[in-house]
Amino acid sequence: MAKPKVGFYDITGCQGCLLSVIFNEDEILDIINAVDIKEFRFIMGEKYDGPLDIAFIEGAVVSKEDLEMVKRLRERSKVVVALGTCACHGNIPSLRSFNEKNIEYLKYDKKNEKQKDFGEPSPIIKHINVEYCVSGCPPDREEVKRFIKEILLGKTFYNYQDPVCRECKLNENGCLLDHDKICLGPLIKGGCRAVCPTSGLECYGCRGLIDDASFEDYFKLMKEKGIDPVMVKKHMETFAGIEINEKLKGTKWEKLH
Amino acid sequence: MGKITLNHITKIEGHARLDLEVDKGKLIRCELGSVEGSRYFQGLLKGRAWNDAPEITSRICGICSSAHGVVSVMALENAFGVKASEQTITLRELQTIGERIRSHAAHLYFLALPDYLGYESAIQMAPKFGKEIKRALRLIKIGNDMVTAVSGRVMHQLSTTVGGFTKLPKQEELDDFRKRLTDAKEDVFETAKLIASLDFPSLDSDTQFFSLNRKKKYAVSYGDVKVGDEIFKQKDYLDVIEEYHEPHSNCNFVVKEGKSYYVGALARVNNNFDLLSDKAKNFCKEIGFNVPCFNPFKNNLAQAVELIHYWEDTINILNDFKVRPEDIAKFKVKESHGIAGNEAPRGVVWHEYKIDDKGKIKFANVIAPTTQMLRNIQDDIAKYVQIMLDSGKKKEEMVLEIEKLIRSYDPCFSCATHFLKVRWH
Repeated sequence: MAKPKVGFYDITGCQGCLLSVIFNEDEILDIINAVDIKEFRFIMGEKYDGPLDIAFIEGAVVSKEDLEMVKRLRERSKVVVALGTCACHGNIPSLRSFNEKNIEYLKYDKKNEKQKDFGEPSPIIKHINVEYCVSGCPPDREEVKRFIKEILLGKTFYNYQDPVCRECKLNENGCLLDHDKICLGPLIKGGCRAVCPTSGLECYGCRGLIDDASFEDYFKLMKEKGIDPVMVKKHMETFAGIEINEKLKGTKWEKLH
Repeated sequence: MGKITLNHITKIEGHARLDLEVDKGKLIRCELGSVEGSRYFQGLLKGRAWNDAPEITSRICGICSSAHGVVSVMALENAFGVKASEQTITLRELQTIGERIRSHAAHLYFLALPDYLGYESAIQMAPKFGKEIKRALRLIKIGNDMVTAVSGRVMHQLSTTVGGFTKLPKQEELDDFRKRLTDAKEDVFETAKLIASLDFPSLDSDTQFFSLNRKKKYAVSYGDVKVGDEIFKQKDYLDVIEEYHEPHSNCNFVVKEGKSYYVGALARVNNNFDLLSDKAKNFCKEIGFNVPCFNPFKNNLAQAVELIHYWEDTINILNDFKVRPEDIAKFKVKESHGIAGNEAPRGVVWHEYKIDDKGKIKFANVIAPTTQMLRNIQDDIAKYVQIMLDSGKKKEEMVLEIEKLIRSYDPCFSCATHFLKVRWH
């Protein structure tokens, strides 16, 4: 059987997702041997414009060039994988949509003017259909490895659906909400092994909302703690802001800024 | 010859483009710039809580997220008047060194080496150079595991925070590193020997070397700044360097008194040679690596020298280091202003914040190493292209040489704002 043709791509982001693939130091050579890597711009100079079995894309769409690239990759690929929080949720690049008044566009720079004209930065999944989303900022190396293994074996990969709190409890951590931290654990999908709260850092929401996230309860809890709701909303906007703001439409928290 | 455009330079971190114009054998235009999409980090931070700064700025770059995360914490400490404990300083250094070991190993083997061995990429190199690639992966793994043990994750730190650590590494983990590092001696020295055996092109950069500098310790974090013979305090950075914009680029350029300067491994080795570890100095002597060295291609050699230094230094640190339980330093969030610089793998990175009385960020400034080296790379390309034009080199050969030169700087265009598109005009 011919090896699947695979490409690794990045649009606007930090390249941390592609590193999360390479940083499987003990398995990366086996991964490279199991597939036919056609493009990996970060470590290869070669250009390829033919068909692909699997395209991994990290980053958010912030410009016409980014959009053209993801559309072309969709046309060429049987399976597209949105890798990381930028590709799945918009992440930090999309933060500027909620901060317009603070962004100083470089007036002397024509290219940046064009970027502004392009509109709001957005996740890849807003522009093309993808077969899989592997979220996380950065994606969990173990999960990336499991994902690659499962799709190479022809299985279907399922995302973890329970909130971060579940894995956090399994790790026997104390609750950061008890320490008045804006921890988004109850609202956000786990699968990350609750790595942040386990190290003492509150959840910023990099894997997106669980299906039945209750904002009513969360804002109530924050109010009881005396935390400014504006700061709570800003915290929510950090990684999955587009998705969360969509859910908050028509609620009393929509205009909170 | 006319015009050359290198439109997406590959095997670098991020996206960049180069435009060259040649008229009658003379280079008349050389413009290097970033084509990375802008993310506007400084604007994103405004109005947010002070403690969001390290979380957001570490996302500037995947490969040097620790450098950003740590310097962000240090700038906030300078703002709030927090004095980090000796243990905290040592652990931050270990995090920074771990990141540097993985970054240098990754850059040398995967990005630089294929240029010198005549391969298109490390993937094509793998069948014949399997031993070397495996060695690289072992070094990367040690670096990654150090970063993970100290900061909680391989990138985008978790436990490193203002005033200390929310979770301390276990002594067994650090003891394990000391043993693994000791066992990695052959990997470190074989790497250095391999890099020293490469045939580096000749080029003299008209530059000044810019790095952190401490009296008794080779540049990692903390300390004053040394540029040429001058020493200045970190807080005075904007009195010394100046950002300006060139219309062809998505990122700014930085100069010191109108002139370009050099940041990164070569600058650190040149400025701090006497502070290198014994084995690193001996290695330099053996291979005849003398400072000051103005050849930008030899930044790769300086990275190899640093690998030896950081390897030896880390073992020495770990020999005497016992983790003790320690609370995070108490501090009061107040209206304040803080500045800090830190050595990222590819040079000094600057973070500056102004915080209001409610603890919100009202101003943020970040100057990444690639922004600072950009003008120096551009000047070096102009000089090197003219030398190659004069010696009658073919266009294709020149493009390869230009890419090799750019790559030797180990630039990171995610930080600076992506890499090489050359357009020959």
